[in-house]
Amino acid sequence: MRTDFAFIGVMLVTAFLLMGVAVFAASLLRPKKPSPAKLETYECGMETVGDAWVQFRVQYYIFALIFVLFDVGGVLLFPFAVAFNVVPIYAVLVVILFLGTLMMALLYAWRKGALQWD
Amino acid sequence: MTISQILFIVMSLVVLGGGVMVVAARNLFHAALFLILSFFGVTGLYLLLDASFFAAAQFLVYIGAISILVIFAVMLTRGAMAAQPANSQWPAALVVSAILFAIIAVIVGPIAVTIGERQFGDVSWPSVVEGQPVPAVPDDILVRLGQSFVDFNQYAALFLLAAVLILVAMVGAIWVARDRTPREVIEERAELAEESQDMAPPQHQLPVKNAEAVEAPTAGH
Amino acid sequence: MSVIDTINNLIKIVGDAVADLVVGILGAGQIADLVIMGLGALVLCTAVALTFMGMTWAERKVVARIQNRVGPNQAGPFGLLQPIADGIKMFTKEDTTPASADRWVYNAAPLIIATFALLTFSVLPFAPGVVGANINIGVFFVIAVGSASTVAILMAGWGSNNKYSLLGAFRTVAQLVGYEVPMLLNVIPVIVLSGSMSLVDIVQRQTLADGNPGIPFIVYLPLSALAFFIAGVAETGRSPFDLLEAESEIVAGFHVEYSGMKFALFMLGEYVNTLAVSIVFVILFLGGYAGPILPSYIWLLIKTALVFFVFMWLRGTLPRVRVDQLMALNWKVMVPLSVVNIIAVLILAKVFVTSPGLQSANGGILVAPEAQALILFVANIVILLSGLSIMARRARVLRLAEEAQIESRRAANRATASNFIGGAPAK
Repeated sequence: MRTDFAFIGVMLVTAFLLMGVAVFAASLLRPKKPSPAKLETYECGMETVGDAWVQFRVQYYIFALIFVLFDVGGVLLFPFAVAFNVVPIYAVLVVILFLGTLMMALLYAWRKGALQWD
Repeated sequence: MTISQILFIVMSLVVLGGGVMVVAARNLFHAALFLILSFFGVTGLYLLLDASFFAAAQFLVYIGAISILVIFAVMLTRGAMAAQPANSQWPAALVVSAILFAIIAVIVGPIAVTIGERQFGDVSWPSVVEGQPVPAVPDDILVRLGQSFVDFNQYAALFLLAAVLILVAMVGAIWVARDRTPREVIEERAELAEESQDMAPPQHQLPVKNAEAVEAPTAGH
Repeated sequence: MSVIDTINNLIKIVGDAVADLVVGILGAGQIADLVIMGLGALVLCTAVALTFMGMTWAERKVVARIQNRVGPNQAGPFGLLQPIADGIKMFTKEDTTPASADRWVYNAAPLIIATFALLTFSVLPFAPGVVGANINIGVFFVIAVGSASTVAILMAGWGSNNKYSLLGAFRTVAQLVGYEVPMLLNVIPVIVLSGSMSLVDIVQRQTLADGNPGIPFIVYLPLSALAFFIAGVAETGRSPFDLLEAESEIVAGFHVEYSGMKFALFMLGEYVNTLAVSIVFVILFLGGYAGPILPSYIWLLIKTALVFFVFMWLRGTLPRVRVDQLMALNWKVMVPLSVVNIIAVLILAKVFVTSPGLQSANGGILVAPEAQALILFVANIVILLSGLSIMARRARVLRLAEEAQIESRRAANRATASNFIGGAPAK
């Protein structure tokens, strides 16, 4: 196990270095003639007005929050799924109760119109 | 020093450095990114503890989900692009964090050490340096974890409580971000209209002038 | 060892030979291990990057044929040298950083997205014994690492300091994170059936003892396979879920400001993620590298190419979906269906067991694996069809309501019109 994770660490470093080398090599090869017009923010040829900051709708946040809740719910199911063959039958009922509660949360969001994107 | 000790020091520095930068960064978005760096360090620490499931869960939930939530919240904040908002609450924050640190150092730390000693004997740093064999993680660790989740003598109640917590969080989030009732919206709009009339900002007159200028020749024809 | 065995285990034999060579030079120890791992990682990264080049060619060619075009045909025979030409262009193209960009964030985003896309491959088994890291949380690791791209996309969107980038990044993330949920949920039935999260174990569970392929999980779990595939298409941001780069709406999404090599890294990230999802789909549902006669890595290649072909096919045929449709499909169809499916699989797999040991431990009815597969298949199909019929009925109700509304508005218009005609003095 430890050597396996060591390989993942080595892979992380190698991939990062390799990508860094690609970018660095490109920076040696490519021409570099910056001009003020080139360095402007691209906005389909219009001159950029103001900052990129826009007031984002709270709906993005709600979707992200629903996602976080279901993500956590899903993560908690993984160990059970691994242990499925060795757990007794009533364990399935526990998990169904768990999933049912999750579904109630989804149903609540649905009924309140939080899943409606408009 | 063994490799895992070096890795431990590196990871701890990532966690602590990230944490310091979260507080010190002048840009809110950068602060959020340093928070993610800190989470990444914690993932590494879990891996060093052979807690692979927790490492992946940490990565998925904190880096993949919570950090998105944090960044979205930052973007909802007015002036996320501006420099640090003017604010003079740092002395209070310093006191609170000092107290929390003291609690951890004086109460939680010794308890953790006691529990560790009861299970593994000596847990002090030098004993690890001397190459004392670290107990290997059993192969069926995930199976045991899964069993404990649904065993009522262990964590089944907490497992179900987590689902209830998710339900409560969902209800709370939707209630906070709910659409206002039509009456509330009308009142709010009325207030806004009053404000804009009171202020009568000069910028608002500009387009009107232009419109007149555009219309004038048409009228002349 | 016979010739056939040699061919079958080619990758493993070459790898072992190189490892022996390194140990011979450096002597056994941690440094030699590190060098071997580094070499393996380097080979893996290079192979994946080369596959990426091939994939861009294949995709352009196939989509062109679907749309009745020729596709790349100038560079080399059949345009085969096109990826190399593209690569040279990427390396020599001027790479501008907008003056208002947040430099560190802007430059780090493509590196992060490409790195984590490549990292997925460290746990994928390519042939028996050929796997970078056989960890006990394999599938979970793949999904977790895949979620890192959302952070990189937000960094790219923010770092460019461009309205389109930021808007594109937000849209992308709202989409990506949403579809991670069905992805997580549909992996669970597979883990339930195989009893392990390790990708190697999952492949073994779909292989018979003599190395021939057994019943793949797509037969047990057609609904999970379908939902996982759709979620995979959405997760990689490919057509018809390519809202992140809707040219007509937000120019090109979060990577508008990127050019040259950094842009290439985004493309690499996208294609490598697609490749990873294809291979993971093959491992989870199509039996992985198991197959008769041909060497196992060839089988993996064939199956992956097949899955990737479906990806290309979708891209060539389907129009882009709307944002609200995308969200509704995820939260109102895929997530509920997946949860119902999990519950059904849990109950049926507990009631109908395939090994006598399990029966004596937990009770249940002992059946043959084929019978279990059939039962689960029927249950999956029933859930899928009932879900679809509920959807159809709901859509019909909505459509009728809309039509009634339009009709009543028309009637009202007609009434006012006739009043006017009736009331107006005739000339």
